[in-house]
Amino acid sequence: MDCCGGTTEHEDDCGEVKVKDSIDAKTVEAAKALESENYSAGFSTTIETDFAPKGLSEDTIRYISAAKNEPEWLLEWRLKAYERWLTMEEPSWAMVRYPKIDYQGYYYYAAPKAGAKYASIDDVPKEILETYEKLGIPLREAEVLLGVEGAVETAAEGREKPRVAVDAVFDSVSVATTFRKELQKAGVIFMSISEAVHEYPDLVKKYLGTVVPQSDNFFATLNSAVFSDGTFVYIPKGVRCPMELSTYFRMNAENTGQFERTLIIADEAAYVSYLEGCTAPMRDENQLHAAVVELVALEDAEIKYSTVQNWWPGDEDGKGGIFNFVTKRGDCRGDRSKISWTQVETGSAVTWKYPSCILRGDDSVGEFYSIAVTNGRQQADTGTKMIHLGKRTKSRIISKGISAGKSDNTYRGLVSVNRKAVNARNFTQCDSLLIGDKCGAHTIPYVENRCASAQLEHEATTTKLSEDQLFYARQRGIAEEDAVALLVNGFVRDVLQHLPMEFAVEAQSLLKVSLEGSVG
Amino acid sequence: MTTALRDFIKNPTPAELELVARYGAQPEDSRRERAFLAFAETGLPHRRMEAWKWTDFKAALKALETPAAASAKDPLPHEGALVFRFTPNGFEAPVNMPEGIRMVEQPGMQAFPGAENVPLGALAAALSGGGKRPATLIFEITSGNLPRLHFVFSGSGQASFARIVFLIRSGASLNLSESYLGGAGLTSTVLEFDLEQDTAINRAIFQRGGADEALAVTGIAHLGANAEMTQTTLSFGAKVARMETRVVHQATGAKLNLNAAYLSGRGFHTDITTNVRHGAPSCVTRQLTKGAVLDGGTGVFQGKFFVPRKTGQHTDADMQHQALLLEDGAQVFAKPELEIYADDVECAHGNTCGALDDAQMFYLRQRGIPENQARAMLTEAFIAEALGKADDSVREVLLAEAQNWLSS
Repeated sequence: MDCCGGTTEHEDDCGEVKVKDSIDAKTVEAAKALESENYSAGFSTTIETDFAPKGLSEDTIRYISAAKNEPEWLLEWRLKAYERWLTMEEPSWAMVRYPKIDYQGYYYYAAPKAGAKYASIDDVPKEILETYEKLGIPLREAEVLLGVEGAVETAAEGREKPRVAVDAVFDSVSVATTFRKELQKAGVIFMSISEAVHEYPDLVKKYLGTVVPQSDNFFATLNSAVFSDGTFVYIPKGVRCPMELSTYFRMNAENTGQFERTLIIADEAAYVSYLEGCTAPMRDENQLHAAVVELVALEDAEIKYSTVQNWWPGDEDGKGGIFNFVTKRGDCRGDRSKISWTQVETGSAVTWKYPSCILRGDDSVGEFYSIAVTNGRQQADTGTKMIHLGKRTKSRIISKGISAGKSDNTYRGLVSVNRKAVNARNFTQCDSLLIGDKCGAHTIPYVENRCASAQLEHEATTTKLSEDQLFYARQRGIAEEDAVALLVNGFVRDVLQHLPMEFAVEAQSLLKVSLEGSVG
Repeated sequence: MTTALRDFIKNPTPAELELVARYGAQPEDSRRERAFLAFAETGLPHRRMEAWKWTDFKAALKALETPAAASAKDPLPHEGALVFRFTPNGFEAPVNMPEGIRMVEQPGMQAFPGAENVPLGALAAALSGGGKRPATLIFEITSGNLPRLHFVFSGSGQASFARIVFLIRSGASLNLSESYLGGAGLTSTVLEFDLEQDTAINRAIFQRGGADEALAVTGIAHLGANAEMTQTTLSFGAKVARMETRVVHQATGAKLNLNAAYLSGRGFHTDITTNVRHGAPSCVTRQLTKGAVLDGGTGVFQGKFFVPRKTGQHTDADMQHQALLLEDGAQVFAKPELEIYADDVECAHGNTCGALDDAQMFYLRQRGIPENQARAMLTEAFIAEALGKADDSVREVLLAEAQNWLSS
C-alpha cells in the first residue's frame, strides 16, 4: 500500500498527526498504547509445518478433506461451496481499501508436522506450548486450576470459582482442548470441529451451514470450501455450562490464510459463555483470515459470545497485517432465547465484520456491544445486523468507535423488522471519537421497519441518554457533561466487566478512553 | 442513430428504450450527450445501486406515457406571486417581470456537472427542452425584495423533463415555491442554486403524484459565505417519488435548514434523500425529516453528512429523522449516514421509527376525543414541526394539506 491508504480523504495525510486539546490526555495515551509498535503478540514460532500445496483449487480442498480424514458428505459440501465461490465477486461496498488479494498466493492449510491432536498435553510440541504460554493462555489444566482446590462439582460452585476451558487453534488445526472430560460430565460437548465431524456427525450435519448458508457471501463461501478447524460446542437441554469456554486462534505460518469455523448450539434452556482471542506474528505480507461463526439458541437458551480481536494490524505505514473478513451470525431459533455479542476490536489491517442476530423465536433478545479502536493505517468496517422476525423481539446495539493515527473506523449496522414482529424494540447508540486530524469516523445505520407496533430508536449523540438517569445524576450535583460521561462509560464498563480475566487486561486499557470530544 | 444508442444501456427495459428514442430525437449537442451518457451508465436507477436500494425506478416504471391523467390541484396560493407554469409542451412566464430578476431561456444545453451522482437529474438535463420549452431556464436574482416565485409542474400523460438554474447574486434573496402535481408517467426536474455571499433563499416544495406515476425532483445547491438556505418539502409520493437534495457548503458561515415531511398512503412511495457536504469551515446544517405512513405505503429517508478533513473543521450539523407507522402494513426505510474526516466538529444524527405513543392517545381519548381524531391531532402535531420554517405565505397551506390527508 502506498503512503496514503484508506479512502480518498487520506490522499495527502502523510504528515504528523495533530490531536486537538479537548481530547482527554488519558484517552490519547490509551489509544497510543495500542499502536502497532507496542504489539506484544507479534513474535513468531519456529516449528516444522506441513502445508497444502499453495493456491486454491479443487485439489486443495480434497487435500484438506483428506488430511482431516473427512466423510464423503463433507467433501461434497466443500466442493459445492467452491463451485459457487468461483461464480461470486468480492464485495466492494465496505468503506475499506486494500490491494487486490491474490487468492492463489496463500496456503490454505498449515499444520504442525507433529500432527494435529495429541493424546496428552505432554505430547504437544513444546514450541506450541511456549507460544500459548507467552500469550498468557495456559493449556495445562493444572495451571488453570492453580489456586483452586479440588474439582468443582456443581454449576453454582463453578460460578464462584470461574475457570476457562480452552480450545487452542494453531494455524489450521486445533492443538489442544482442555477440560474436555470434566465438561463431558455435564454433558457439554467441547472439541474441535474436525473431531466433532467424526464423533458427532449427526449434530454437525444437522446444524452446519444452517445459520450461515454455504453461499451466504463471498468470504463465507470461501470459508465453507476450505475451512480447516474451529470449535464445536453443544450444550444439552437445561445445562448451564459449568465454565467459560474459549478458543484462542493463533496464525503463525507465513503466507497462510486461517479459515476456522465455529459452531455453537445451546439446546433448550441451556447457557454458555464463550470467548475467542486472536493474535498473529508481525509479518510484512498481508494475511487472510476468513472465519465463519454460527450460533444456534433454542428455546430459553442463552449464548454469550465475546471476542478480543488483536490480529497483527500492520506497521504504522500500513505494511503487513491481517485482512479480517469474518461472518458471524447467531440464530435465536427458540422462544425467549438470547444471543449477545461483545467485541473489543483493536487489531487487523482491514476488518469487515458484522456479528448478527436473527431473532426468530418470540420474545428473543439480541445484543451487540462493540468497542473498535483503529490506529496507524487500520481500516475497520464493522457493526451488526438485528433481524426481527418473532413477536416482541428486542435488540440493543451499543457501538463505540475510536479512530486515531491515519485510520478509518466505520460503524455499519442494519435493524430490520419483519411485518410479523409485533411490538419489537430496538435501541441503537453509536459514538465515535476522532483522535487527531488525520483519521476518519463514519456511521452508516440502515433501518428497515415493516411493523407498525415496533419501536426503533437510533441515537448517535451522548446527550440523548435517559432523561431520568441524567436528572438523577444532576440533582446530586454532578455536572451535566460529567454525568453523561459517567453514564455512557458506566454502561460500557459494565459490558467489559463480563469479559473473562485473561482478556480483561487488553480491555482495561480501553476503559480509560473517555467520550469527551465525541463527534457523534 | 437510435440503434447505436440502444447499446448505451445494458439490457434496457421498454421505458429505457423510450428514453433512448427521446434522446435520439433531440438536436445533437456534446453537453447533452455527456449528461445522457451519465444517465445511461446505470439506466433507470434500481435496487442494486446502493443509493437506490429502497427506491427502484427501473422496476416501477413500465412505460413513459400514461393515459392522460388529471394533475392534482395546486394548493399553494398564486396571489401576489410570480407564477411560472410548466406543462409537457409549453412554458408560461409572467408577462411583466419586476426589477431584480432576469430570466434567460437557453435553447441549448448548459454543462451539467456532477451528473454521475444524480442519474435522474442527468436525465432531466439531457432531455429538457423540446416543443416550446427551453432546454435550460436561468434566473438571475439581484434584489432582496422580490415577490415569491411560484413554479407549477403539471403533465397531461406525457413524460416531462425540466431544468432550471437560479443565480442569486451577492446580497440578494429569494422566496421560492414549487408545486409538482403529477399527471405524467415520468417527470424529472432538476434545479440548481448558486448562492453567492450574504444571500438567502427560502424554498418550499409541494409534491403530489398519481399511484401509477414516477416522479423525481433533484435540487443541487452551492452556498457561498454566510449564505442561508431554508428548504421545506411536503411530499405525498407517487408510485415512486424521489425528492433529492444535494448541498455543498462552499464558504465559511453558510447555513442550511433542510426540512421535509412525507405522508405515504396505500400504494404510494416517498423517498427523501439528501447529501450535505461541509466543504468550508464553520458551516451549520440543521435537518429534520418527519414521516407518517399508512398500510401499503412506503417512506424512505436517506441522509448523509460528509465532512472533509481539510475544509470541514468546526462543522456544526444535526440530522434527525422520525417516522410514524400509523397502520400495520406500513413500511419505513432509513439510512442516516455520517462520513467524518475532521476532528473538531459536532455532528449528530438520530432516527426513530414507531407507532403513536399509547399514553398520548389515552390522554386524548379519555377527554372524549374519538380515536380517528385523536390520531390525526397527534400526527399533525408531529408533522407540523418539520413545516415550521416554511415562508409565511405557504406554511398554513402546507399544514392544511397535511391535515386533510391525515383526517381523510
